[in-house]
Amino acid sequence: MSEWVNGGLQDPVYMAQRIAACEREVQKGIIGQREIIRQVMLAMLTGGNVLLEGMPGLGKTRLVSTIGKVFDLSFKRIQFTPDLMPSDVTGTNIIIRNEQGSAFSFERGPIFANLILADEINRATPKTQSALLEAMQEHTVTVGNDSHALEEPFFVLATQNPIENEGTYPLPEAQLDRFMFKILVRFPGREELKGIVALTEGSQEPEITKQMDSRGLMAARALVNQIPIADAVMDYLLDIVMDTHAGNPYIREGASPRAAQALIRAARAKAFLEGRFNVSFQDVKETAFPVLRHRIILNFDAVSEGISEDDVIEKILEENARL
Amino acid sequence: MEQREFVKEIRNCRRRLNLAGFLRKLVTALTIGAAAGILFQAASFVIPLYYAGSYAVLALVLALIAAAVTAYVKRTGMEQAALVMDSFGFDERIVTAYGNLDKEGAFVALQRADAMGQLQAHRDKIRITLLPPWKRTGVPAGLLAVLLVLALVPSEMKERAEELHRVREDAKEKVQEIEEVVEALEQLDQAEELTPEQQALLQEMIESLQASQEEYRQLSSDEMMRAAAEKLEYRYENMGSQLAGLAQSLQNGAAVSSVTAESMQALAEKMQEMGSAQLAKGNAGQSGNGGQNGQGGQSGQDGSNGGSGQNGSGGQPAQSGQSAQSGQPAQSGQSGQSGQNGDGGQSGQNGSSGQGDGSGQNGSGRGTGTASTPHDYVSIPNDIADSGNLTGNAVDHDASEYFHAQNGLSWEGTHMSHEAVIGHYEQNAYEGIAAGKYPSGMEEVIKEYFSNFD
Repeated sequence: MSEWVNGGLQDPVYMAQRIAACEREVQKGIIGQREIIRQVMLAMLTGGNVLLEGMPGLGKTRLVSTIGKVFDLSFKRIQFTPDLMPSDVTGTNIIIRNEQGSAFSFERGPIFANLILADEINRATPKTQSALLEAMQEHTVTVGNDSHALEEPFFVLATQNPIENEGTYPLPEAQLDRFMFKILVRFPGREELKGIVALTEGSQEPEITKQMDSRGLMAARALVNQIPIADAVMDYLLDIVMDTHAGNPYIREGASPRAAQALIRAARAKAFLEGRFNVSFQDVKETAFPVLRHRIILNFDAVSEGISEDDVIEKILEENARL
Repeated sequence: MEQREFVKEIRNCRRRLNLAGFLRKLVTALTIGAAAGILFQAASFVIPLYYAGSYAVLALVLALIAAAVTAYVKRTGMEQAALVMDSFGFDERIVTAYGNLDKEGAFVALQRADAMGQLQAHRDKIRITLLPPWKRTGVPAGLLAVLLVLALVPSEMKERAEELHRVREDAKEKVQEIEEVVEALEQLDQAEELTPEQQALLQEMIESLQASQEEYRQLSSDEMMRAAAEKLEYRYENMGSQLAGLAQSLQNGAAVSSVTAESMQALAEKMQEMGSAQLAKGNAGQSGNGGQNGQGGQSGQDGSNGGSGQNGSGGQPAQSGQSAQSGQPAQSGQSGQSGQNGDGGQSGQNGSSGQGDGSGQNGSGRGTGTASTPHDYVSIPNDIADSGNLTGNAVDHDASEYFHAQNGLSWEGTHMSHEAVIGHYEQNAYEGIAAGKYPSGMEEVIKEYFSNFD
């Protein structure tokens, strides 16, 4: 403790309080959807990308823009359409003529921002979708022979519509695995809807104030990575991931090692967000759904019996219940 | 909270967990042990199971040992104890801190401090109950009560089991005893001085004792035990006298080793002693019915023409009113022969039980002898007398009691000599031949068979 300056970026207690304050601020701009906000905050704390799945008009764009305001991050929105080209996302080299003559100059695309909202990502062609792969994993963009580093922190929050599948290009497994979370945005309840209507149609919008900047977010992320995990908790986590493989009667393909990494990071982030400096079984349990649901592929038996990914994960968690 | 105190807290918790685990396993073990004990006790009501009580106790003891061993093998470790403590709302703080006790680092120290602080503040939340719920403890208590009741309730089968056990124990001793005698006889049988006839006699004795051994091995009741004991006693005494005679003849022989003769004499005395002991042990109170089958009764005084002496075996004609002399080995238990001029025959000296009565022309003779010779008559119990080919004194047809005579078992009723019985059969056989009852060619065989007796 002594090496930390109280109230500084290196003070875990202070930073945990700041992150909690950020979450509360985001909740001011979004009525309900607390679980969604929590999971997006976790992704922010771990540097993971998020795939939001839900009907249009559920406040996905508003959520992302609010987060941008709270963390004082640059925010860009890309509407994915079938005719969207990769260069429309990444940017391209253009010829610049001036007094010295002509030269190629890289014109940055919308991906050069801290926070990217890739709206309806499954409407773009796989070629354009794959343009995001490098950016999401390496945080760089390569155009021609030049690689351009993206500004940190960099997050992609993509959305996709679960209906109107005609003319869409489902994301390939490799790309899905690069999303840390897949969050299901459900329709709000009556009371929540009433609050949303009052908030958005009212005369006065709530004032969202900046709570932390990108430097603070990066410092918090570094602290999260130091949170210790007990062996018993780590065993629990690995058991869950392993149980998505051999012997599971409803899974065709189980979760990748990246899932285990994501689960560890998410559980740590959740503990940090709650002001704890250790990971609990409950942390792992709660983060298992958004981490695993897009990383397992159900087999025919599950589909024919109407069993969803969440049902399978629920069963795995029950089988591995501790104490 | 200091680190030492933190570890001590976990250790205390572990101790309680281990104790609680042991008590849980103890309850389970008692339930299983008591259930097994009840099975044994219940079985003892159906089959003769002498050791039912011991088996029940053994089952309980084994179950308790198993509980103790299982509790030790599966004892709770420190990390597991920390996990249990965490389950009382500490969100794995304690197990994480315990796992990182030997690690350094600012974040680890912060986590440890957080865990210790939480533990100190909420120590009272940790409640580890030692005793299992009363419903679980009630089951073994009830089963133990049932077990106790079953153990105390008497039953015929239990008594039968006790009897069987007693008989088997006694039989085991007897088998051992017979084994020793057989070994002694086998040693004697090896002596080169013995003639083939003498060796054959010894071999017969061995086989006879082995038959007794086999009989003892198959005993299953006091009744059978008594019968076997009587037979053995008879065999011992018979063999004792045969061996005594054999020893005497060997001593008279010039070429015989005195060692062999002495061994034989010693064995003969031992067997006679064993026979007496057997008698005392197996048939106490029955020999009082003797007085028949007197053997070697000599010299009823003044007995003349003693007729119809019953059951006197080997009773020789009473002679001139002398005192009965000591009984000699019984021979061919026949009806007492007529005494001559005798009256008031007195008991022979050294005679036990056996008596022979004879009435003579001028008086009656009575002799009493020892029961040291083979059983030489046939008992015809009341209830089968006069039935079929057996004839006898059918005063009544009630069941006869058997009793022990000096030289074997006898039944109430008529007693006939072997010769009389053989004669009876022989007469019937010849009548059958005369009547043409038998297949041709067999007549000669039958005649030869009976002539061999003569």
